[in-house]
This record gives sequence, C-alpha cells and structure tokens, in this order.
Amino acid sequence: MDEKLVPVVCPYCGVGCRLYIRSSDGHPLGIEYANDIPGISNENGKLCPKGNAVLEYVLARDRLKKPLKAKEQGKFVEISWSQAIKEVAERLKEYSKDDPNSMMFFGSAKTFNEPNYLIQKLARMLGTNNVDHCARLCHASTVSGLKAVFGAGAMTNTYRDIEEANVIFIIGHNFAETHPVGFRYVLKAKERGAKVIVADPRFTRTAWFADIYLQHYPGTDIALINGLIHVIIEERLYDEKFVRERCTGFDELAKTVEKFTPGYVEKITGVPADLIVQAARTFATGGKGVITWAMGITQHTHGHDNVRLLATLSAICGYQGREGCGVSPMRGQNNVQGACDLGVLPNVFPGYKAVSDPEGRKFFEEFWGTELSGEVGLTVIEAAHAIEKGKVRAYYVMGENPVISDANTNHVIKALHKLEFMVVQDIVPTPTMEFADIVLPAAAMLENEGSLTNTERRVQWSFQAINPPGEARPDWWIVSEIGKAAGFTGDGPKGFNYSGPEDILREVNACTPQYRGITPERLKANLAGIHWPCPSEDHPGTRVLYKERFLTSDGKAHLAAVEYRGPAETPDEDYPFLLTTVRYVGHYHTLTMTGRSRALVKRWPEPLAEIHPEDAERLGIKTGDWVKIVTRRGEYPIRAKVTRTVKKGVIAVPWHWGANVVTNDALDPVAKIPETKACACKVVKITEEEARELMKKVPPVIPEIEIVRG
Amino acid sequence: MARKTVFIDFSKCIECRACEVACEREHNGRSFINVFEWQEMAAMALNCRHCEKAPCLEVCPTNALYRDGDGAVLLAPQKCIGCLMCGIVCPFGIPELDSLDKIMMKCDLCAHRRAEGKLPACVETCPTDALLFGDFNDIQRMRRQKFTEKAIEIAKSGERIQFRGV
Ligand code: SF4
Ligand code: SF4
Ligand code: SF4
Repeated sequence: MDEKLVPVVCPYCGVGCRLYIRSSDGHPLGIEYANDIPGISNENGKLCPKGNAVLEYVLARDRLKKPLKAKEQGKFVEISWSQAIKEVAERLKEYSKDDPNSMMFFGSAKTFNEPNYLIQKLARMLGTNNVDHCARLCHASTVSGLKAVFGAGAMTNTYRDIEEANVIFIIGHNFAETHPVGFRYVLKAKERGAKVIVADPRFTRTAWFADIYLQHYPGTDIALINGLIHVIIEERLYDEKFVRERCTGFDELAKTVEKFTPGYVEKITGVPADLIVQAARTFATGGKGVITWAMGITQHTHGHDNVRLLATLSAICGYQGREGCGVSPMRGQNNVQGACDLGVLPNVFPGYKAVSDPEGRKFFEEFWGTELSGEVGLTVIEAAHAIEKGKVRAYYVMGENPVISDANTNHVIKALHKLEFMVVQDIVPTPTMEFADIVLPAAAMLENEGSLTNTERRVQWSFQAINPPGEARPDWWIVSEIGKAAGFTGDGPKGFNYSGPEDILREVNACTPQYRGITPERLKANLAGIHWPCPSEDHPGTRVLYKERFLTSDGKAHLAAVEYRGPAETPDEDYPFLLTTVRYVGHYHTLTMTGRSRALVKRWPEPLAEIHPEDAERLGIKTGDWVKIVTRRGEYPIRAKVTRTVKKGVIAVPWHWGANVVTNDALDPVAKIPETKACACKVVKITEEEARELMKKVPPVIPEIEIVRG
Repeated sequence: MARKTVFIDFSKCIECRACEVACEREHNGRSFINVFEWQEMAAMALNCRHCEKAPCLEVCPTNALYRDGDGAVLLAPQKCIGCLMCGIVCPFGIPELDSLDKIMMKCDLCAHRRAEGKLPACVETCPTDALLFGDFNDIQRMRRQKFTEKAIEIAKSGERIQFRGV
C-alpha cells in the first residue's frame, strides 16, 4: 500500500481552497487540511462544510461509469467509448456542414481550464460561436458591467485586500453563508477595526456582523447605490484627485444622482434616510474600501447597471489600483473565472478578444489554422429560445444542468424536448440528462488534474488524487477525442492531439496574454498559484489591477450614470409578494454534488420558504406548513419557515431544489442574465397531499436514469 | 499539567457547521460537536468541555472514563457498560449512547489527530476562528493582551486627534 497525500483544489465554490486527499492505490482514505502551504486562499487549512465533505459525492453510488445511448427519453443502453465518440463526432460534423449555428456548446465552471479551453475551441473550429456556460446565470452582469467601467470583468483585488480594507460594503450576497472561508477575511478586517456595511433584503448571517445594515427591497439596488453616491457627491466626500485624473463621466453622474436624495431613496428602498447618509459617509471616508457582491446584484434585468454603479461608487472614492481596495465579485463555482478567461463565452475568444474584432479573429484563425465565424453566438437563455424557433437543433452540454439552473424551468424543459441531438457529459445523472441522446461519463475533479482559476484570479494546479470509477474519463480527454474524430488532426494548436492537460495549458499560454507566464511547470512547483495577469514566465503575477490605468480605450474609468429601474415584475393584486431566491451554506448550485453528500443532506435536508410573521399570520401559515408559491410561470410546493429575518412582503426561497420553475426569465438587455432574484408571486397554503401532487411536476433534482439491455 | 480544550467564541460563529461535518468525518459518521441556533440569529457550537472537575469521570462505576496526557476526558470502550450515568450527570448532556454498541460516545478532542501533532478537526476547519484549541490560561492571557492592544490603539488615535487640534 502506498499512502499518499495529494494536494487538490476544493471542487466546490470560487474561493478555491486547497486541501489534501489521503489516498492509497487510487482509493480515497480521507482528507487533510492544507495548513502548511503559505499564501493560499484558505490560510491555516480552513474549510467550510462542503470542503469537509468533498469525498462523499465522488463516492456516490450512481456515478456514471460507461458511455450511454438513449433508446427513448430517460432510457439508455451502454455503449463503448469508440462508438460514443464516433457517433458524437459524426453528428456534430453533419450539423457543422449544414449550419454550424444550429449547434450550441456548454462549457462548465465546475471543471478545469483545459477542457473549457477545448470545448470552445471545438465549437469555434466547427464554425460557431454558440458557446456559453453557467456564468451567464450568475456573473454575466459582473463581466459586462465591470468591463464597461474598468475595461475588464474580473475581481480587481485579492482576499488579502479584503483583509487589509478599512471599510467593506457587502451587497446582494450572504457572504458568510455562500463563501464562509472568504468571509474569514472580512472578519479579520473587522477585528482590525474595519467597518462592515451590509445591504440585503434578509437579515442574514452576514448582516449579523454589520456595523450598518441596510434592508432594502429586492431589486431596488440602483436607487440605493445612487442614494449613496448622492450623499458622497453632495458632501464632497469623493476622491477629487482620482476622479479628475482617472475617471470620465463625473458631471453626468452628479446630475443623474441629484434627485436621489436620502428621503427619495427611502421611499423606494425602504431603508431609513439617516442610515443611507451614515453608510455613505462611512464608506467614503474609510480610506481603503472594498465592495463585494454576488447574485443579489447580478441576477436582475438591471444587473449590468447595478454592477456599473458599484464600480462607479468604488472609483469615485478612489478605491481602485491600491492595496486594501477594490471590487470583489464573489464567484459561486471554483472555475467561473477560468471558464470566462478561456473564452467559454459567445462573444470572446480566450483572453477576452472579441470575436467580432477582425484582428483578434485573424490571430486565432492562424493559431488554430481554420476559418472562424465573426458572428457573436447565443447565450444560455437565448439558446433555449432559439430551439423553439428551430434555429438550434443540437446541444453539447459539458457539466451543466440547465433544467435546474435556468430561470423558468418549464420553458427550458419544453425547449429540450424539441432538440434533435443532445450530448451530456457529466459525473452523475442530472435531470438534464434525461433528454440526452448520448451520455459521456466524466471523471470528477479529484480524479484528474489540471488548472483552475478562483474568484481572485488565482490560477492553481489540482493534482489527481484518486482513480475515476469504471470507464469514466477526464473531460479534456473526452473533448480532445471528439475533436480528433471530427477531423481536427493537425499538429500543435491546429488539432486536438494532446497527451495531457499540460499540453493544453501550454497552448493556452501561447494564445492568452493574461496566462502567458502561467505554465504547468510553474503551477506544479508553486501550490499557492499565480494571480493573472502574468505576462511572462519570470513575472510574479498581479495582486491589484489598474495601478496606473484602466483597460478601457482611454485608460480611464467610465463612470456610469443610471436612472432607477425596479424589477421587471413587481407585486400587484394577483401576485402580492416579492419572491427572491437564496442559498444554504451546505448546498451548492443544482445539488448534483452536494445532494449526494450524506453529511450535507442530513444538515440541510429540504428547502424552506422564509416568510415574515405578519404576512404568515394574515395567511394563517405556521412554520412547517406546506404552501405553494405561484407565479405567472408555474407553481412550486415548499414548506414555510416563519421568520423575522425577511422583510415584510418578501418571500425568500432557496433555489437548489429546483425553485426556478417559478422564477422570471426576463433578461438584462446587456448581460443577458435572467432576473431570478426578484419577481411577483402569491403564497397559498396547501395540504401535504396537494404538495405531493405538485412535487411530481417539479423535475427531481436527483433523477434515476434507467439502463436497459440491448 | 496544562489542560487544553476547545474554546468557543460564539460572537464569531456563522453557523456554517463545518465543525460538525469535520468531526463526523473523523469519528465514523458521528459528530461530537453541535451547533445551536437561538432566536433565529445567534449561533453557538457546543462540545465536551473536558471539565476540570468532570462529573462524568467521577460517577463512572467502571472507570471507563479517564484523562489522557493533555487532560482530555476519554472513554475506554471496552470498559463501558452503557449505564448512562455519565450522560445524566453531564450538565451539557454530552455523552451519548451508541445505539448499536450500547456504549457511551463523546468528544475525545481528536486523540488520533493530537497523537500526530495536529489540531482537533473542528478547530482546524472553523473558517472564522470561532473555535480555539488551547490552555484556558493561555487563551485568557491572549484575550487580555488583545484588549490592551486595542485600548492602547484607541488612546493613540485620541492623541493624534488632539495633535491635530480637533
Ligand atoms: S469555501 Fe469554497 S472552496 Fe473553500 S472549502 Fe468551502 S466550498 Fe470549498
Ligand atoms: S475536538 Fe474532535 S472529537 Fe471533539 S468535537 Fe472537535 S472534532 Fe469532534
Ligand atoms: S465551524 Fe466555526 S463558524 Fe462554523 S459552525 Fe462551527 S464554530 Fe461556528
């Protein structure tokens, strides 16, 4: 027996904690805390409950072990890898000849950089830019909003800067619950005397640590942020030198926020005017300030504008380009940043070169040795709509689960029924897989190796700790085999001949300027990883962005002036409540992984709809009663939890268990993100039987797929 | 003998339950630390205090409970007869009966980890440092020191304000 301790990156959230897997001959024995690696994002080996339970989902009984082919919906037969690859490659080639844009590819923020690079390369070499991933549903507005103001869509600082800040403004996410290890740095700052401002419609675990707590209505963020900016400008608390030298658009901003007096903002948001004044003063005079956010800001029809305003707020206070300052969008999955960086987006190539820019395109045409489309592709949600119109006919889904993650599930399911051909590559059965024609069993993260980019732009190498089950194969291997079978057999970057993830990362080094110096050799030798941009092999990486100039065309921050818009759907007589979605610390996204972990399911067994005591009393609802949440899109059965933590008139529902059957798929016009965070609903008390009946109509988060003979 | 145990700073607990999951992993699916929520918002983790005058230890008729070199109160399974005495006298209700083996189980301060020079799992994992492992006197000294540092800092900033003539 050779017992090993293998350093890996946690397969869950975007904090990107390191830990060791103890294994023997490829079998997992346990985990050990990485308290001996200086400089990683989780110092002293800290891990949240998900990180502590990482081995459980890998050992799930229903792991996919062989390629499958559908006989009818949800019923599969086992086939060989060679047959599976041949069939997928041939079908893709046919669509490519016929009309490349009839295909849609999904990358995954849950797998390494290398397969993500490959999936977009495959899509593009087959002639389409229809490639996207779940960042569309979480941080698309962060990418577009920050790009508009600063010129690029990434976190501008690191965890160390959060720790060193004097004031931290947390808006639109429950930091303590969604990223407990990241929240550590907020608490450390607070211990040093930093002030914490939290804005959230719910009084969360995070709000508990706030010095100033602003409880605004879901979807009224624009008014709230405009109100803060109003006070800061009115009282001349902004950084005049920074604004003069490094920003444009200040006058228009000042004019737009003029009417957002604290009194006016109080009327819209429900936050007392004096608290707005206090928050604005505290934030602007802190000297070093950080703003963090997540889905409460991004998942709105005005998500793009929300982010632009937060960036503007940070810029006018001069909180950019310095240590202890910056904006920190918190990413949900461990490789959201990497999947974006490597071009798993319909509008950009790796390194954010626009597909519509002839120069960038020419570079990749030469690099990959093929002609490329300059037409911006479809996003996740647009693709679902395009199926209905008959424009998209085939899906290649790598590690995604649109049936649970997309807004307005019923619509997505209707669309998936219409697809001609669907490939699903994943580690366990998902409700999306029921629609697949071919299922490709993938190795989980701990079962193969590669690089990942966490939320603070830190690229780390995760090593293989254990063996994959059955015939499951690494994602990079599957995509490169399909690439070769589709006829891309050229040498080097011109084809798909790779002997391992190292080869692929070297190709990424060659075509992605931000990753140029981040070689596999360096990552393997330096477990703490490297922050991009890292332009050369002797460059140490970059902690704080924009020290001298922003990445906009003129090098300045383009301040945003934004008029107030509320959510696309607001309460009315028929639907009197405002519904918002939340998450639990022990669960993660569509439950594909955490739902298969005994320790996590035991502690967070079911979703509960939070409702204010006064609302509950009016409706005759007690904690534990069954209710149904009804919106214009569907009905969702759930048990109620009566609690003072939500604002009156607001219902908060965790979304992991498929609550997207009721959410709104209205899109932000720029970021194309759906408004899952606010819509109108009504709440009706029901019996347990009624709930059971309704439950049958909601897709099961952990489905049983049937494997039949011959 | 320096007696070390796990101290809980409930003002820092975010109810993430990482400690529970960690303990459960280290002890065959059973957690010896429990996180309680009060009044909707405040949370506190509770595990064995390994008391100075441990009542469990005193009442155990078979001497199944004993102290190890670090002062942790441990249970020798082969001696335990499952009489529940320890569970009844423990003011925190810590020792629990294992329904399968009919013996008592309790926090052992991760004896197997301490033997390798590691911290107890719950302490090592707690993201907010709400859990601390150490000697009571050391921890009190550290807290006093922190308090004094803060007081000095406040006094100094007061001086600065005076210098500026505010
Ligand atoms: S905070 Fe995120 S990366 Fe760290 S252990 Fe938890 S899930 Fe994993
Ligand atoms: S010290 Fe070890 S046994 Fe005791 S509660 Fe913590 S993890 Fe569990
Ligand atoms: S790990 Fe720490 S913060 Fe989390 S529940 Fe336990 S004591 Fe509280």
